[in-house]
Amino acid sequence: MNGFRKEFSTFSIALMAVAIAINIGAGQIPRAVGLPLYLDSIGTVLVGVLVGPWAGALTGFLANVVWTFTGLFPQAIAWAGVAAIIGALAGVFAQSGWLKEWWRAALAGLITGVVAAILSAPIAAYVFGGVTGNAGTDAIVAAWRAAGFDALFSNVAQGTMSDPLDKIVTYLIVWAVLLALPQRLKARFGNQSGQAAKTRARKRR
Amino acid sequence: MHGTLFVSGNSGLHRLHPLTKLALTFLFLVFAATLPNLLWLLAAFVILLVPMSAWGGLLRPFLRSCLVVITPFVISLSIIQGFFTPGETPLFHLAGFVLTGEGLLAGLTVASRILMALGGALLLMLSTRPDMLMLALTRSGLPGSLAYVVLTSIQIFPRFQERAQVILEAQQARGLEIKVNIFKRLRLLVPLMGPLVLSSIVDVEERAMALEARAFSRPGRKTSLLALADSPGQHLARWGLLLLMLALIGWSIWRAISS
Repeated sequence: MNGFRKEFSTFSIALMAVAIAINIGAGQIPRAVGLPLYLDSIGTVLVGVLVGPWAGALTGFLANVVWTFTGLFPQAIAWAGVAAIIGALAGVFAQSGWLKEWWRAALAGLITGVVAAILSAPIAAYVFGGVTGNAGTDAIVAAWRAAGFDALFSNVAQGTMSDPLDKIVTYLIVWAVLLALPQRLKARFGNQSGQAAKTRARKRR
Repeated sequence: MHGTLFVSGNSGLHRLHPLTKLALTFLFLVFAATLPNLLWLLAAFVILLVPMSAWGGLLRPFLRSCLVVITPFVISLSIIQGFFTPGETPLFHLAGFVLTGEGLLAGLTVASRILMALGGALLLMLSTRPDMLMLALTRSGLPGSLAYVVLTSIQIFPRFQERAQVILEAQQARGLEIKVNIFKRLRLLVPLMGPLVLSSIVDVEERAMALEARAFSRPGRKTSLLALADSPGQHLARWGLLLLMLALIGWSIWRAISS
């Protein structure tokens, strides 16, 4: 419970709001340059990495609530739980020091992508009748169905084709951002190295 | 409010307490999950949601939003369920696959469930200011910081979209070529995402200080400039809606067991 409390300072609350706006703003860049990626969870992963798993989970959840509010993608709320798990995983990976080297960050992205694909598929298969309402992904699902697979498998297959690559790129961007972020700001969160947390503990004594 | 679906107005629907409208949204969600077939679902949409949107003076934006949201589902579901559900009434042959009447009906039924559920959510968002909804939820126990996160991100995301566009144009003006092959495009993400994310994070510190200067983390009850109007009748109606939802869920479980 103490860890939970510590994650919700005014600073991290302000970061969470900005992170959700980053999710939406950054999500349009791949479209503008013509890349078949979503990149709509950079902010969520960033909060998980900088602040911790609880804050990451909450950011993911609220991000999908906001997507629904804006009317850009009203069905997003159905995947809010998956977004929360993506944020929580980011916090856990950072605590285990996986964001220090680029290749481990990429591996974290790969794992997150596979988990996200497996968790999203049943929602598409059972709540939305096997589709997501996105023409591109639904065409891939249709191709798998045509090859003779059932709704759940086809959605898992579609997810594992797009999500791992998307999350690997997301994690690499977050890794690069961490390198460029001023030390002074990183020290205000201190989820990754434990260094800042130690400093804070010393101050309290 | 900029960047949301909300359409301002002074109708009875607009003036309902946000929690009453939220309860209605959940009722429509329960309808979407429990009504037995396409006919019932479409009837509920036409008899309940359409007149409610007309009451709020929102008929046109409501129907337009519904159309935008549901069209891709209708297309995808008709194709995927239509061709890959076995049935006895073939309608159409295409490259060895058969579009069956049963499949088409199943697809349209799922689409109408989605229409019912998302239609309820769209009606809530069209007729309710997000800050009013959050205020009502905060009054019933939601932490104020969560309301802050939701409302702030709704307010600032249009500016972030603009910022992404500005960065894209600025980098192109400096000679960044975006019509290149796909592997080079991946590398483009560094000069585009980097400035966007970094400049945003630097903003956070200013925001946090502004919040602290206004006693954001001070415990205790906070007052609001917004006033919420509630009535005993609406309070009662919300309990009634809750009971109705439980009854519908019970009824559909009973149906599932007895069949």
